[in-house]
Amino acid sequence: MIGMVVEEVGTVIDLLHTYLIHIFSQYPFLKPLLIGFVGACVITGILFVAGMFVVWLERKFSADMQTRFGPNRVGGRYGQLQLLADAIKLFTKEDLVPETADIWLFTGAPIIAILSALMMAAGMPFGYVEVFGKQYLMAITNMDIGVLYVEAMAAISVFGIFMAGWGSASKYAVIGAFRSIAKMIGYEVPLAITVVSAAVMVGSLNFVDIVNFQTSLSFLGLEHVPAWLLILQPLGFFVFGVSLLADMGSKPFDQPEAEEELVAGWGVDYSGMRWALIYFSEYFHLILGACLFVLLFLGGWTLPFDMPANLTLPVFFGKVLLVILAVLVVRWSLPRYRIDQVQRLGWKILLPLSLVNLAWASAIGVML
Amino acid sequence: MALMDNYLPLLVFFAFGILVPVGTIIFIRLIAPRGEYPRKHIPYECGWLPIGTAKIRFNVEYYTYAIVFLIFDVEALFLYPWAVSYKNPLITVPNFTLIACIEMFLFIVILLIGYVYAWKKGALEWIR
Repeated sequence: MIGMVVEEVGTVIDLLHTYLIHIFSQYPFLKPLLIGFVGACVITGILFVAGMFVVWLERKFSADMQTRFGPNRVGGRYGQLQLLADAIKLFTKEDLVPETADIWLFTGAPIIAILSALMMAAGMPFGYVEVFGKQYLMAITNMDIGVLYVEAMAAISVFGIFMAGWGSASKYAVIGAFRSIAKMIGYEVPLAITVVSAAVMVGSLNFVDIVNFQTSLSFLGLEHVPAWLLILQPLGFFVFGVSLLADMGSKPFDQPEAEEELVAGWGVDYSGMRWALIYFSEYFHLILGACLFVLLFLGGWTLPFDMPANLTLPVFFGKVLLVILAVLVVRWSLPRYRIDQVQRLGWKILLPLSLVNLAWASAIGVML
Repeated sequence: MALMDNYLPLLVFFAFGILVPVGTIIFIRLIAPRGEYPRKHIPYECGWLPIGTAKIRFNVEYYTYAIVFLIFDVEALFLYPWAVSYKNPLITVPNFTLIACIEMFLFIVILLIGYVYAWKKGALEWIR
C-alpha cells in the first residue's frame, strides 16, 4: 500500500519535473521570475524573523551588560515572545502623521529603508545546499558585480533616513537628518575603498570568487591557516569594520538619533507600524552588514578544513551571529562620539588608512 | 541568458520591497483606531508648540563638504573596473599590470593633492 503511494508520488514529481523543464525552455524568463518570487518570499520571511530575534537578543544582551533583567515575562523566563507582543501592539496603534509633514516623503521613507535592505539581500550568496549529489548555490543572483551592487543598495538607505527627517519637519528630525547625511558620506568613502581593496586582491567583484579565493590559498604555506582577508588585510578589516559600524548607525556612531540630545533624531515623529518598519530596516542592515563582513573578510561559508556542503549554511550563519554579537558588545560598551569627532575620524583617519590599505592590497594582489 | 538569470529576480525583489511596506501601511490604515484629538498632529518638540519652520536653509560649507565627498566617491567608483581588470589574464598587452598600477597610483596622487588642499582649507571640519 505504502509502496504504491510512494510510486504514485514519484510519477507525479517526475511528470511535474519534465513539465517544468519544458515550460522553462519555452519561456526562459519564467525561471528567474520564479526564483525571484520564491526567494523574495523566503528572504523577506527570514529577515523579519531574524530581525525579531536580533532585537530580542540585543534587549537581553544589553540587559545582561547593565545588570538588568530585560524581557522576562512574555512567553517564558527569557521573554521569548516579547517581540510578538510588541508587534501586536504596533499593529493596533494609531497611524499618526504630523500636520506639517510632507506626506510623500514621510510615507516614502520606510519604503526606501525596507527596499534597500531587501535589495541588498538579493545580491548575497549564503552557502551551498547539496541535494541528491548536486550542489546548489543558495543565492538569488550570482552577479559578476555583486560587491558593487550590494554597496550601492546599502547606500540607498541614506535617502530613506533623509526623507524621514526632512519629511516629518520637526526640528530634531531635521538636525538628525543632516547629521546622518554628514556621517554617511564621511564613511561611505573609506567603506567603498576597503571593499575595492578586497576586490583588488581577488581580482573579481563576484562574492563566490572572493570566498573561493579565501579558501584556495593557505597563509604563508601554513596548513589550516586560511588566507582570509582578515589575515591578508588586517588594516582593511579594521577600517571596514569601523565604517560598517558607522554606516549601520550603531552605538558609538548613532549621533543622528542620539536619544539623549535629539530624542530620536530623524525618527522622532514616527510611531506605530511606520516606526516599526524603519526600526526593522535598521536591524536588517545590521544583519546584512554582518553577512557582508563575513563574506569579504571572514571566509564566507568556509572553515579552514574540509566539510560537507550541507554544513556551509550553518557555518555561515554561525559566523554572522558571532559578528552580530561583537557589534552588540561594541554598541553597549562605548560612549557616543561627538559629531565633529565622528567627522574627524572618518575623513582624517579612516580615509588615509583605507588608501594605505589599497596600496598594500594591490601590491600583494600583483604578487599572488 | 545569464543577464536575464541574474537581473530578472532583482526586478521581483524591487516589487517586493515596495509592496511589503506599502501593504503594511495600507493594512494598518484599515485596522488601526483613529482618534479626533487635533493636538496630537503637532510635530514633537518636547511639549512646546513649534516656533517657525523646521525646514531651515543649511550652511553653505555643507556643500563644499559634499563636493569633497562626491570627488572621492567617484574615485572609488573608478577603482571598481580597475580592480577587476588590472591583473586579468585575458588582457595581453605587455606589462599591463605594471602600467595599470602606475596609472592608478598617479590618479590617486592627483586626488590626494586635492584632499590635502581641502584639509588645509578646513572643508573636512564639522560646520562651525
